Amino acid sequence: MKKRANLRFLSEGAFKGLVKVLIKTFAVYGTTLRDGFPIYSRVSGPDELVLSMRPTALSAKEFLFPQREVLLRFDREAGTHEPVIEAEDQVIIGLHPCDIHAISLMDRVFANGIPDANYLKRRGHTVIIGTECLPDDYCFCPSVGTMTAEDGFDIFLHKIKAGYLARIGTERGKRLLAKALTRLPTDKETAELEGFLKKKEASFKVRLDAPKEDLPLIYAKSDQSGVWDKIGAICYGCGSCNNVCPTCYCFDVVDTVKADLIHGERARVWDGCTLEDFAKVAGGHNFRKTRAERLRHRFNRKFRYLSDVFNALFCVGCGRCSRTCLVKINIAEVTNELIREQKSGK
Amino acid sequence: MSLSVSKKAANNILSPYLPVECRIERVVRLTEKERLFSVAPADARLLGYAPGQFYMVGLPGYGEGPISITSGPGEGGEFELCIRAVGSLTDAVHRLTKGERLWVRGPFGRGFSVEEMKGRDIVFIAGGIGIVPMRSLIKAVAGKPGFGSLTLIYGAKTPDDILFGGEMQEWREMGVDVRVTVDTATAGWKGPVGVVTRILPGLDIDPTNTVAVIIGPPVMYKFVVIGLREKKVADSSILVSLERRMKCGFGKCGHCQINSVYVCQCGPVFRLTELSSLPEAFG
Repeated sequence: MKKRANLRFLSEGAFKGLVKVLIKTFAVYGTTLRDGFPIYSRVSGPDELVLSMRPTALSAKEFLFPQREVLLRFDREAGTHEPVIEAEDQVIIGLHPCDIHAISLMDRVFANGIPDANYLKRRGHTVIIGTECLPDDYCFCPSVGTMTAEDGFDIFLHKIKAGYLARIGTERGKRLLAKALTRLPTDKETAELEGFLKKKEASFKVRLDAPKEDLPLIYAKSDQSGVWDKIGAICYGCGSCNNVCPTCYCFDVVDTVKADLIHGERARVWDGCTLEDFAKVAGGHNFRKTRAERLRHRFNRKFRYLSDVFNALFCVGCGRCSRTCLVKINIAEVTNELIREQKSGK
Repeated sequence: MSLSVSKKAANNILSPYLPVECRIERVVRLTEKERLFSVAPADARLLGYAPGQFYMVGLPGYGEGPISITSGPGEGGEFELCIRAVGSLTDAVHRLTKGERLWVRGPFGRGFSVEEMKGRDIVFIAGGIGIVPMRSLIKAVAGKPGFGSLTLIYGAKTPDDILFGGEMQEWREMGVDVRVTVDTATAGWKGPVGVVTRILPGLDIDPTNTVAVIIGPPVMYKFVVIGLREKKVADSSILVSLERRMKCGFGKCGHCQINSVYVCQCGPVFRLTELSSLPEAFG
């Protein structure tokens, strides 16, 4: 993957200079620390960025699929609807490989069938600058094939001692990187990168006990597993897992009317399949009544249902759902439990 | 693997959420809870629907909901919606009168293939509000040449809840064997009492040449399927239409998902054989 021709060395100073240039023409967001926790936020200068660290609590999906996004504005008196499709030119700095994979999956979801203009416009206006990361106790990206990203970014920055090795992913990335002083990396620098990646892969504490290709079938055979009732019994149904997941894209559509009762807007807001009303229809029937059924649905969406459609796992191994879960339901442990059940023929 | 989204191309995609203005031409009160709306869309493309398809019907301020089409295909410049008042949106629609407006997107989903039913006997089995989409299919085949015998079994809660009761006489005149049953009889009801499955055993069904169509509340499907299998009707000849919560209509919002399929795209009409891999279908 590390084709040297695609790599450029970029000093820390040159990187900072590039960020300053980007801030002039783009809204720049990046990974920073707030109260010691890694988050994405708007940055006004390169010194605010903290790169190459552990995963952020929230994913970067909000930049492409905001938690609340206006779709239409209407005038109830005139009976008119005006479509709203907004986007700003933005750069997101600090996306980890798992998040880059997640965005590639979201791209496919929103472009599939009737294209979703709102998402795709934002995506078209977004420059993605990925960075290397450090796993924590919840990360398991090597088990789902997302520890490295081959594409899906404009520029990817590998941290090395002397600065960064920048990988170009798109023509746009190439044009942007041309604004910074770069040079070809030395053999020593590329060797340092190789060494880092080997060390990184070895440092993961959590692994799935089956190859990723087997996971859809393992889930398909686990519909009747007792695991669902076990985790359903402790789940609060709070939807935090849906909130933090970089590939959870389900939404509700909600109208709001201004105090004049004439003007208003139709917006989509994040929804979550683990919330009680998600599959409830008018009249009151709930197609997934229990938390166990709703969790089974969510886990299957990540490992089976969507892979049936898109031929890719929708879990990118970021561990966010496990990290945020109030009752410590851990997606890797649950999956390993299902794998164990299959192996023991239960 | 990643799909690159060009800025220029993305800027030119139209909003799939923009609805078409429609004018209400007639409102008929069918029961205490259901009204029939005849609706003329400003854009004739909305009229190119198949029976079994649905629209996202909206009112600004109240939102949108999936509503089955109840008129037959190709019936002119209007379509009909039979709407039960069960929430804020449908309550608000019930307050509308002739000349007022509705906003509609669609038609969405996979409807019934009438072509496939040519030359075959058809048994329609509807429960409650399931008669609403079924009516579109019945109107597409009743009185039309090329179909075998047509039988409708329709179950309502009480005689007062029967929808399209007057029209059923016309269907009978067009040769449809209409059997209406109620869960609870009221004074003056002379028809059968009990669930729709009690009618099935008495029917003369040729299993080699019959298509059965089931639309009703979730609890109904399993029992009707058992009844049809007892009549030796093959699963591949049983069609169902499934209800789900929907917010977008085109496979994005996630609400209508049953296992790996989106009902708004792969359904709402399914062949029973397609549901063998979807254990949540009759949930």
